[in-house]
Amino acid sequence: MLLPSTRREFLRHSTRGIGLLAFSRFAPRFLVQSSLAAPAPEKDRRILVLVQLAGGNDGLNTVVPFDDPAYHALRPTLALKQNAVLTVSDHLGLHPACAPLHALLKEGRLGIVQNVGYPNPNRSHFRSTEIWETASDADASLPSGWIGRYLDNACAGAPASSDPDAIHISAEVPQSFGGALPHATFGLALGAARASRTETPLLERLAGREDPVADSNHAFLRATLMDTLVAEKNIQRILDAAKPAAPYPAGNFAQALRNVSALVAAGLPTRVYFVSLGGFDTHANQANAHANLLRQLSEGLAAFQADLTARRLDDQVLTMTFSEFGRRPVENESRGTDHGTAAPLFVMGHRIAGPLHGAPPDLRVEKNADIRFGTDFRSVYATVLDRWLETPADAILGARHERLGFLA
Amino acid sequence: MSAPLTPEQAWQPLPASAWDASAARHLLRRAGWAARPAEVDRAVSEGLPATLERLFPSTPPPFPRPVFMVKAEERLVEVRAKKRAAATPEERRVVDRDERELERLASIEFSLKWLQAAADPARGAYEKWLLCLADVYVVAFEKVRRAEYHYVHRDLLRTLGTGPAPVLTKAISRSPAMIDYLDLSRSSKRAPNENFARELFELFVLGEGHYTETDIKQAARAFAGYRHGRDGFRLDPRAADTGSKTVFGRTGPWTGDEVIDLAYAQPAAATFLPREMARFYLTQTPPPPEFFAPLGATWRTSGFELRTLCHAFFGSTVFYHPDHRANYIKSPVHYLLGLVQDLGLDLLPLPRTTLQPLRQMGQNLLEPPNVRGWVGGRLWINSSTLAARRQLARTLCTPLDEDTLNADERLELTAARDAGRARFTVDDDRIRDLASLGARGVADRLCDFFLPVGVPPAYRAAVVDYLQTGAPGEFEERVRRATIALLQSPEYQLC
Repeated sequence: MLLPSTRREFLRHSTRGIGLLAFSRFAPRFLVQSSLAAPAPEKDRRILVLVQLAGGNDGLNTVVPFDDPAYHALRPTLALKQNAVLTVSDHLGLHPACAPLHALLKEGRLGIVQNVGYPNPNRSHFRSTEIWETASDADASLPSGWIGRYLDNACAGAPASSDPDAIHISAEVPQSFGGALPHATFGLALGAARASRTETPLLERLAGREDPVADSNHAFLRATLMDTLVAEKNIQRILDAAKPAAPYPAGNFAQALRNVSALVAAGLPTRVYFVSLGGFDTHANQANAHANLLRQLSEGLAAFQADLTARRLDDQVLTMTFSEFGRRPVENESRGTDHGTAAPLFVMGHRIAGPLHGAPPDLRVEKNADIRFGTDFRSVYATVLDRWLETPADAILGARHERLGFLA
Repeated sequence: MSAPLTPEQAWQPLPASAWDASAARHLLRRAGWAARPAEVDRAVSEGLPATLERLFPSTPPPFPRPVFMVKAEERLVEVRAKKRAAATPEERRVVDRDERELERLASIEFSLKWLQAAADPARGAYEKWLLCLADVYVVAFEKVRRAEYHYVHRDLLRTLGTGPAPVLTKAISRSPAMIDYLDLSRSSKRAPNENFARELFELFVLGEGHYTETDIKQAARAFAGYRHGRDGFRLDPRAADTGSKTVFGRTGPWTGDEVIDLAYAQPAAATFLPREMARFYLTQTPPPPEFFAPLGATWRTSGFELRTLCHAFFGSTVFYHPDHRANYIKSPVHYLLGLVQDLGLDLLPLPRTTLQPLRQMGQNLLEPPNVRGWVGGRLWINSSTLAARRQLARTLCTPLDEDTLNADERLELTAARDAGRARFTVDDDRIRDLASLGARGVADRLCDFFLPVGVPPAYRAAVVDYLQTGAPGEFEERVRRATIALLQSPEYQLC
């Protein structure tokens, strides 16, 4: 059991256990439970893991239309030949670095949603990421993120707790997480899996001191910070003790997924995890860099899925990738590609219906023009919200979007 | 707690004998963003009056339009010409999109360049004063989607923010951003819109309870026909109402400017803005307006000169009273710019590492939540915003991993470096310098320089203990982490 089995054990293990609890207004849910009995993870949890491919992933060289002459004309040096790709259909193949994903595809654990984008695409990293994360129209701006609005909906009226509703393992808090209500969201530093390697132990001692402070704002800040540290402490303890049930490759991305798996296995009530893999902005000499990124992505995702399966948690977790945009169909003068529009994304879970969803892009574009998206990204969100998280998708997205078949 | 001050005692100038390093730190943190040791020394040796002269100068620091905004405006002229020439709805839609995009980029540039300027210790106090005024004369990009209007609005606050308040308020009533934000552009003699007149009395000059609904209705008529266009402000003669109005019991064919003068003639005008200042700089729960009467009298006698108000406010006895030390929760902008100054950094000129953290901490720079601006105080703090604050401290104290930047971000960094700004995060050399002080020296430096609160010996001992634990080769890394922890501490959130 990864969780402390008694309240006393938790207290003994925390550096300043009493102080930690004395200053926290809410005992975390797991702690209340664990003082009675070791909590078994709920059977019917539905957890979503978002994997951001930051920088704009080159969709055409991820899911390759190997027999389309237009593809080879557009990509004189970057095009992948039929004999190099991993066949998905008569016309499409995965990049050779995606072998682990290809295996998942054949097992019915991976789906590809093709040509995902939105009308009037924006080619700024910052803005297009914002559009994806807030699920807004390109010409509107929304103050909250789509996950934040999901949490607004799911957590309204829920008892206050310092357990995180959403956890991100990325340098910035994802804009997706912002809601109309404040939610307990929590960030894990990249590559800093062990609590002892962060500043947190010292902060706990500074904030958890028991000497009274006269000023009420000071006391309020201490109490609020202690709430978040209680949650963090719990998480760090879980990560420090975690033993994955399947091997993970080295590297921050795979380690981040390893941490997600450990937290899911520990029975946290967290519903959404956000993991980021950066470096997809491949303007020059793309071939090797892109292959390396796809290898990290594939090996990381496959290890994660294998770990979840071995722990029999794979039926509780759905993983999906997204990237702010795809890249220009035509390669540039530097053997790279510039900012584009639509791209395929992956969905991964214990049972994914069919390998391909949506239609592939039409590559018969004008010189240096972009492809036109086929599936609105909000259809992917609507499907996930509706059929996986079982919440009113249309209310959260502010409009009705077509549902896709990958969770049928 | 010290004995409470009477209003007369409160607004007496601080006695010169009470001006010490602790008072100087308080002033620099509250009026600006941080109390850097060199600035504290300088303020102590120059004395309070000379320091105020420097922080609130008679000539405001200039802030020319960022180059990108100038270029965007040129492009927008072309785009709008195209829009007028657009033959089909489809063509128009494409042009609309270009227009919105340019405005959005220009607004980001405006925010970033302002933050860069405001991070300069020499001008921090005046830039913060503009933030205070912008929290009174509120406009929001969400409704007014023209970056240029926001620039002009801020520029009015900047250039008129030292002079008489009625002059500023009159200029603001002609500001394109305000005309659009409070619906003056739709106000006409036949259908006067009361939105601006109401906020003029309630939020700019007098405060609730110091006017009647009739005053608002009558005053609204005086602002009917306020318009702006390519040639600037104009009063549309067909929409204007030149008839007789009765405002605050005075009857006449009042113009908008005259209504503003009538408002400033009301007794409440003398204490309203001073009390708003107290809310912004001193305490979330300011005392009742009567408490501000002596300060208000000084201010009114000066012809409502804003610089006089600033000097009297920040030079007062009450501003330095123990009740107001180290107990105000920093706003997100204050937290960001305070970190940048305390750490001696240049602002990272990337939206992702500046504007986005601000939004996550709850302060989207050009988007105040409503006409009242930000409420602030404890509402800044919850588990998500604290997480965002902690993340920001980590980011600024960790060497930048440039491999993860996208190409646009690399260009921004190169441009900033070319302009002589290159210290974006705390690098290893800085940590090594700090580490050379030894564990006790590091703990003292961090507690004394960064924290506004005097901390008990046990607090310092905890830092020393943390630094001394672990392998010897780990010391510098521990110094870095201790720095981050201090900047995340409850104490550092206060000023």
